[in-house]
Amino acid sequence: MKKEKRNEENILLSIKNASYRYSDAEKDEYALKDINYDFEAGKIYAIRGRSGSGKTTLLSLISGLERCTEGSVIFDGKDLKNINLDTYRNSQIGIVFQSYNLLPYMTASENIILSMDASGKKIKNKKQKALELMESVGLKENYANRKVLRLSGGEQQRIAIARSLSYNPKMIIADEPTGNLDKQTESEILDIFKRLAHEEGKCVIIVTHSQNVCDAVDEIYDLKKVK
Amino acid sequence: MFLFKNAWISITRNKGRNILIGAIILVIACACTVTLAINNTASDLINSYSNSYEKELTLTFNRKEMMGNFDIRGEEGREQAKERFENIASYTIDDVKSFADSKHIESYYTYSISLNGNSIEKAEIEVETPPGGFGGGRGGKGQMQNNSMDFSLTGYSSIESMSEFITGTYTMNEITEDAWDKAFNGNYVFINQELADYNKLKLNDIIKLEDTNENTYEFEIIGIFEDNAESENQMMSMFSNSANTIITNADAVVTIDTENENITGSVNPTFIIDDYKNTETIQEEFYKKGLDETYMVETNQEIAEAAVSSIKNIKSFAKTFLVITLLIGGVVLFILNMINIRERKYEIGVFRTIGISKLKLTIQFVSELLLVALFALVIGAGIGAAISKPVSNSLLESEIENSTNSQQEMENNFGRPNEMQGNKGNIPNFNKMQGKPTVQAYDSINAVVDMTVILELLVIGLSLVIVSSLASMISIQRFSPLTILKERS
Repeated sequence: MKKEKRNEENILLSIKNASYRYSDAEKDEYALKDINYDFEAGKIYAIRGRSGSGKTTLLSLISGLERCTEGSVIFDGKDLKNINLDTYRNSQIGIVFQSYNLLPYMTASENIILSMDASGKKIKNKKQKALELMESVGLKENYANRKVLRLSGGEQQRIAIARSLSYNPKMIIADEPTGNLDKQTESEILDIFKRLAHEEGKCVIIVTHSQNVCDAVDEIYDLKKVK
Repeated sequence: MFLFKNAWISITRNKGRNILIGAIILVIACACTVTLAINNTASDLINSYSNSYEKELTLTFNRKEMMGNFDIRGEEGREQAKERFENIASYTIDDVKSFADSKHIESYYTYSISLNGNSIEKAEIEVETPPGGFGGGRGGKGQMQNNSMDFSLTGYSSIESMSEFITGTYTMNEITEDAWDKAFNGNYVFINQELADYNKLKLNDIIKLEDTNENTYEFEIIGIFEDNAESENQMMSMFSNSANTIITNADAVVTIDTENENITGSVNPTFIIDDYKNTETIQEEFYKKGLDETYMVETNQEIAEAAVSSIKNIKSFAKTFLVITLLIGGVVLFILNMINIRERKYEIGVFRTIGISKLKLTIQFVSELLLVALFALVIGAGIGAAISKPVSNSLLESEIENSTNSQQEMENNFGRPNEMQGNKGNIPNFNKMQGKPTVQAYDSINAVVDMTVILELLVIGLSLVIVSSLASMISIQRFSPLTILKERS
């Protein structure tokens, strides 16, 4: 396990004694229990664990799709319990999924512009910005007007990353982003994440099974199944 | 703003789904337009007819009620009945004025006396003397009208009480310039054209009438009217029923009647009321004011309504059809949206994940449906407007035909030959066999789509959109984005 010395001032997200129990679960049946993790800006993290260890649950707590039943998740000094999670998701963090989760009836650029619109941020010339983002993840301009279903898996994932970056969030959360991709494409996607963390100062958290991903990150958290 | 842009993109990129929804709304809109147009136009026609048809209330003698208390099989019962009949408190002109003092009554009575001609002759070339006499109530002095006199001098209390002119039974052929200034003040009269022709009378001529004691009364002719009613006694007289009716104002008649003991007047109170709904209230008021309970009030409501019965049937059909269309349409749209929303579950998950709030997402989904609905409503209203007229007229034609067939069938049951029209020979008046006329006031509806229909359609369309959007609204509130995306994965 890679573990480096923590720079307290640089911590963007902290998980403090977080536990999560599904609403239909038994009283002592936790999906996550007493989790304490810190994530710094400018670093890339991997969350690793076996199936059922709670990786996706942890990701949903970090991304504000669920609230922890005990403990807290602190982002940029603010407890997620006290902020609007829609605003948190559409302007502070970017989420990338294994299955891309793009809107199939929209074009590549429309999917990216949709996120810009949802953020409510004033972004000038959204179409041009979308093209620049596509270029930054290795997609040429002629992909812009293609329906996403006509793109390959790797291309769709690049669009998903471009979408997550469209409103310049401080943190990127990725759930098995290379799970459906070949090794060459996986390597290219990881290069993008590394650039985002190390050159643009973003905090990148990747939930993964992949050893290649673990080898590429700065720090790894191992999740164990709650007994 | 981006929500509407997304809504538009979603509509244009998911044509199949939206065309299906649009087609259903279009059919509903078309049906609603036709039914609303029929309903509204029919209401207007009924109201218009109702307004042109004076709401009349008359006093009738309730013979059945009175005779029910006596056993006339025996002498004693007959004597009691006779005594009761003689002691019925008849109403006088003052009673009628008192009855008319009600907020529900707009105008009230005619007062008639019979006089003989002095300077003029009765219009009469009789084959057979018509039976009966003047209808209405009992005379002011408790006696029935004397029918052996030449003329009926009928006084109206106000212009509103001249219902024959209002309904068009009488129309004025000639009139002096100041006729309506004089009509209700003094001895001025309107006479029938037939009487004028018979006696070579013209406007401003003076006519003289006399009572049984040969007291004469002078009147100036200020108008000559024509009776347009089809006479029921055509076989017995060459002249219309009103040929020997001379019209003046009630005060003139009352003055003559009051001054002369030997004249028997007949007050025929016809009250013009504000609404048929108030009939019972008015009857109670009359009883409180001293009307003998052997009298009852009757209105012409049934006759007035019978004339628009076919249109009422069409209106009722249109209403029922509208309700059924809306119910079925609403349910179909709701189910269709539920199916659609299951297909769009993933979409909801993506939108929610990228931080679009439930409210904004609801607005977007409702906007999509609203845009499709508006488009379909406009086309549906256009088609509805084009077909509402022929459809409404066809429905009414069919309804009138059914009514006529039913009447014909009844007449056939009596063995009446088809070719015999009118009341010839001794054939009874079949048109009145059911106690109401079968002639319809209108033979076409010409339902038109006006602003009222458009507004009503808009309200219906919006209600349908809201009802059918409930499925998506509930789903958006209920679905967890993570669960949706997990299912997708």
